[in-house]
Amino acid sequence: MAQDNELALRMEGITKRFPGVLANDNINLDCRKGEVLGLLGENGAGKTTLMNVHYGLYQPDSGKIFINEEEVKIESPAKAIDLGIGMVHQHFKLVDALTALENVILGIPPEHPPVLDLAPARERLLKLCEGYELYVDPSVEVWRMPVGKQQWLEILKALYRDARLLVLDEPSSVLTPAEGEQLFKAVRRLSEEGRSIIFISHKLGEVLEITDRITVIRDGHVVGTVPTEEATQRELARMMVGRPVVMERKPRPALPEKQPVLVMEDVSANDDRGLPALKDFSLIINAGEIVGVAGVDGNGQRELAECIVGLREVTGGSIRIQDHIVDRVIDDPSFVGFIPEDRQKTGLFLDLTVAENLVIKDFTRPPYSKRGVLQYDAIRKHARNMIREYDIRTPSGEVLVSNLSGGNQQKVVVARELNAEPVLDIASQATRGLDLGAVESVHDTLLEERNRGAAVLFISTELQEVMSLSDRIIVLFRGEIMGEVEGEGADVSTIGQMMLGQVSEVTG
Amino acid sequence: MKKPKKRSEFIYFPGLGELALSGLRPLIGIFLGLLAGAVLIALSGANPLDAYSAMLQGALGSPQSVANVLVRASPLLIAGAGVAIGIKAGLWNIGAEGYMYAGAIGAGAVGIALLPVPPIVHVLLAILASVVAGTIWGLIPAYLRAYRGVNEVVTTIMMNYVAIYFVSWMVHEPQSLAEPGSFFPMSKIIAPTAKLPFLMRGSSLHPGFLVGIVACILLFLILRFTHFGFRTRMLGVNPDGSRYAGINVKRQMLLVLFVGAAMGGLAGAFEILGLKQRVFMDFVAGVGYEAVAVALLAGGNPLGVIASALFFSALKAGGATMSIQTGVGAPMTIVIEALCVLFVIAIGYGERKRLERAAKTEEEGEEVNNNDG
Repeated sequence: MAQDNELALRMEGITKRFPGVLANDNINLDCRKGEVLGLLGENGAGKTTLMNVHYGLYQPDSGKIFINEEEVKIESPAKAIDLGIGMVHQHFKLVDALTALENVILGIPPEHPPVLDLAPARERLLKLCEGYELYVDPSVEVWRMPVGKQQWLEILKALYRDARLLVLDEPSSVLTPAEGEQLFKAVRRLSEEGRSIIFISHKLGEVLEITDRITVIRDGHVVGTVPTEEATQRELARMMVGRPVVMERKPRPALPEKQPVLVMEDVSANDDRGLPALKDFSLIINAGEIVGVAGVDGNGQRELAECIVGLREVTGGSIRIQDHIVDRVIDDPSFVGFIPEDRQKTGLFLDLTVAENLVIKDFTRPPYSKRGVLQYDAIRKHARNMIREYDIRTPSGEVLVSNLSGGNQQKVVVARELNAEPVLDIASQATRGLDLGAVESVHDTLLEERNRGAAVLFISTELQEVMSLSDRIIVLFRGEIMGEVEGEGADVSTIGQMMLGQVSEVTG
Repeated sequence: MKKPKKRSEFIYFPGLGELALSGLRPLIGIFLGLLAGAVLIALSGANPLDAYSAMLQGALGSPQSVANVLVRASPLLIAGAGVAIGIKAGLWNIGAEGYMYAGAIGAGAVGIALLPVPPIVHVLLAILASVVAGTIWGLIPAYLRAYRGVNEVVTTIMMNYVAIYFVSWMVHEPQSLAEPGSFFPMSKIIAPTAKLPFLMRGSSLHPGFLVGIVACILLFLILRFTHFGFRTRMLGVNPDGSRYAGINVKRQMLLVLFVGAAMGGLAGAFEILGLKQRVFMDFVAGVGYEAVAVALLAGGNPLGVIASALFFSALKAGGATMSIQTGVGAPMTIVIEALCVLFVIAIGYGERKRLERAAKTEEEGEEVNNNDG
C-alpha cells in the first residue's frame, strides 16, 4: 500500500470529559498519508468520542489536532469537511426521503443557485461508483436501499467532497461477508490513492486484514500502537479487554440440585429491521444459578431478553419457563422479573410518580385495585415499603420518577421487578450508567435472588461484572452462543476472543 | 458516576406534581394571552381596560348573558373532554368537528322520527344514536392509527371534511331527512318529544353544559382511578413502556380514540336536540376545532377543560358587546383565544426543551460509557 511517512493527522493530548465520565484521557494518535489505521477497542472505550472530536462534533477539553502537520481547530463538521475529513458514522446520517444523488449533494452550494447541479453531479457520482466499485443507483430514494448500499452511499458522499482522510466507524457491522470484501477492496484502493483511512472496529479479524497499523484504546486511554504485521490476535485481545484487575468473585453457596426454570430450544428471532438476531439459540437456566451473557453490544442481547418475556415474536423454536410456554407478554412480576436495558425508555414512566411506577404491572390486582377502582392508599403504602426496603432516595412516593438520580430510578425498577420473588430474573444491562454504589447494590440484589432460588439471566456488555457475578457464562456473538465457560476461574482473554467471534479451543 | 437528574424548576412544585403542571400552565397562558390581546387592542386605538370590561359585561352582565355563555360552552365542554383524553394518551384526536356532524345526523335521524315513546326515552334514543354515529365516524382513523400506524392528525382532519359534506348531502332533497321546499338545505325539525327542555325562561339554555361538566369530572375520575384511565396515562407517558408492562397498546389506542369520537358525537346531539332543532351544513362551523383549542389550553386535563371552555365561550359571548361599545372587532376574541393557546404551548415547549437538555447531558455521558463502538 502506498504510504510515505508524512502525517495526515496527528492528535496530541486529546481529553474529553462528559459529566461523570472521562471519555478520552490524554490521547495521542497519528495517521500517515495513504495509511489504513485501525482503531480498536471495546464498547465504551472512547473510539467514537475521539472521532467525533476529530470531525468537529465535540470540542475537546484540551489537546491539539494537526492536519498535514498544521495545527487546526475543528469547530464544526463543515470545517472538518473543508479540511478534507470525511466520516461515515456507524448510524448513517442519510435523509431517507431523498435519493442517493440528492443526499450526496446535500449541503454543497450549487453553482447557479437556485438550480441544483443535478446532471453534472450525477455524472461525477457515477464515476466515483465506477472507480471504487461501490455501485448505487443515484435516483433511488435511500429508504428503498438495502443497508449495504446505504453504506456505499455514505462513503461516496465523503469521497464526493474529496475527503483525504476518511473515518469509517464500524463499517462492516451492517454488511454481509461478500459486501465486506467489496468494502476492503475499496479501502485498499483509497489508500493507494494516498488517502488515509481510520478504520474503527472491535472485530479483530478484519482489523488485522485491512490495516497497516493498529491503535488500541481502552477506558479512554491509548493502550498502544502496533504495526499490523507484528500484531497477533491474542495480544490484541489482551490489550483490548485485559484489565489489570483481579477478578473478585462474590462468595456464594453451592448450587442446589439442578432444576431447570428457563428452557430455550432452537430459538430464532429477528431484530427490528427484520434481520436475524438470534439463531437456533438453546439455553437452560436452573433454579439458583446466575447465567451471565457476555458479548459485544448488538449481538442479540436485547432480542434474547425480549423473546423470553414475550415482547418479541420468535421465528422458530420454543421458550418455556417452568413448563409455561411463552406466547405473549409476561407482565406478572411474581413469575418473571425483567429489568430492561433501557430503563428510561422502557422500564419507567418518567412523568408518573414513584408510587405509580412501582405498580405499573400490578395495578389491576388487589390490593392496588378493588372492584376496578385504584386504591391509592394501598399504592402509597406499597411505595413507602419499597422506598425503605430498597433504599430508594426520594422525598416521597409522590415525586415524579424523572426527579430521581439514575441509580435511584434503577432501584425503582429493581424493586418492582424483583420484590414479588419471581422464579426467573432477567437483568439486561442493569448497571449501565450507574455509579459504583448503585452497581454494587444491583449486584447484591441479584446474588440474593440467586441464593433465594431464582434463576437469573444476567446480560451485560461489561465483562468484568459478568465474570464476578455469574455461575456460568455464555458468550453471545451474532446471535449465537460462541462458547460457554464456568464462572469460577474463567479466563478473560478466552472470553475476550469469543466475544470477538473466535471459537476457543480451550473452554473452562 | 453520579448523575442527579433534575426536572426543570419552572412551574413545578414538589408534591403537587402533575396538578400544578397542568393546572398552572393554562392560567399563565390565559394571563399572557389577555396581556398580548390588550396590546393589540391598544394598537387598534381602543382602551384595553374598557374593551375587557365591556367584554366581561357582555359575558356575565345579566342572567341571559350567562346563559348564553353556558349554551356556547356546551359543545366545547363535551367535545373538549373527548379531545383531552386523547391528549392524555398522546393521541391527537382532533376530528371533533367531524364527530359532531356525525353525531348530529345520528341524533337528528332518530329525533325527527315520530316515535310512540315518552319524551325522555326519545331523547335518550337520539343521544344513543349520536354516540354510535360519532364512534362509527371514529372507526376508520382509530383503526388506522392503532393497527396501521397512520398519523391520526391527518385522518381525523380529512374525515371532518367528509362528515361535513356527507351531512350536507343528507339534508339535501330528495334525501328523506331533508325538509321539502326549504330555502336552504336543512333537515326536518326534530319531534317535540326529542327536544331538550329549556332551563331558563327567555334564554336557550339547555342541559348540555351540565352534561359537559359532569363528563369532564367523570373523565378526570376515570383517568385517575380506573384501570382504563391508568392505562391511558401510561400510554401517554411512555408507549414503549406500556407494552413492556403488558398493556395491549393498540387496543388502548383504539378505545381512547373511540371515547373521543363518542364524546364528539354527544356534543353534536346536544347542539341539535337542545339548540338548532334541525341539522344543516355549518350548524357548528369550527366549534370542533375550538374544542381542540380548549383541550390544548387545558393541557389535556379534563378539569381544566371546564375552565377553558367557559373562558372561550365568555370571550366569544362578550366579543359582541366589546365590538359595539369600543369598536374593537369581534374577531379580536379569536385572536385572543389563539394567543392563549400559543402561550400555553410555548410554556409547555419551553419546559420540554429544558427537560430534554437535562436528559441529553445525561445521555451523552452514557453514550460514551456504553454505546461507543
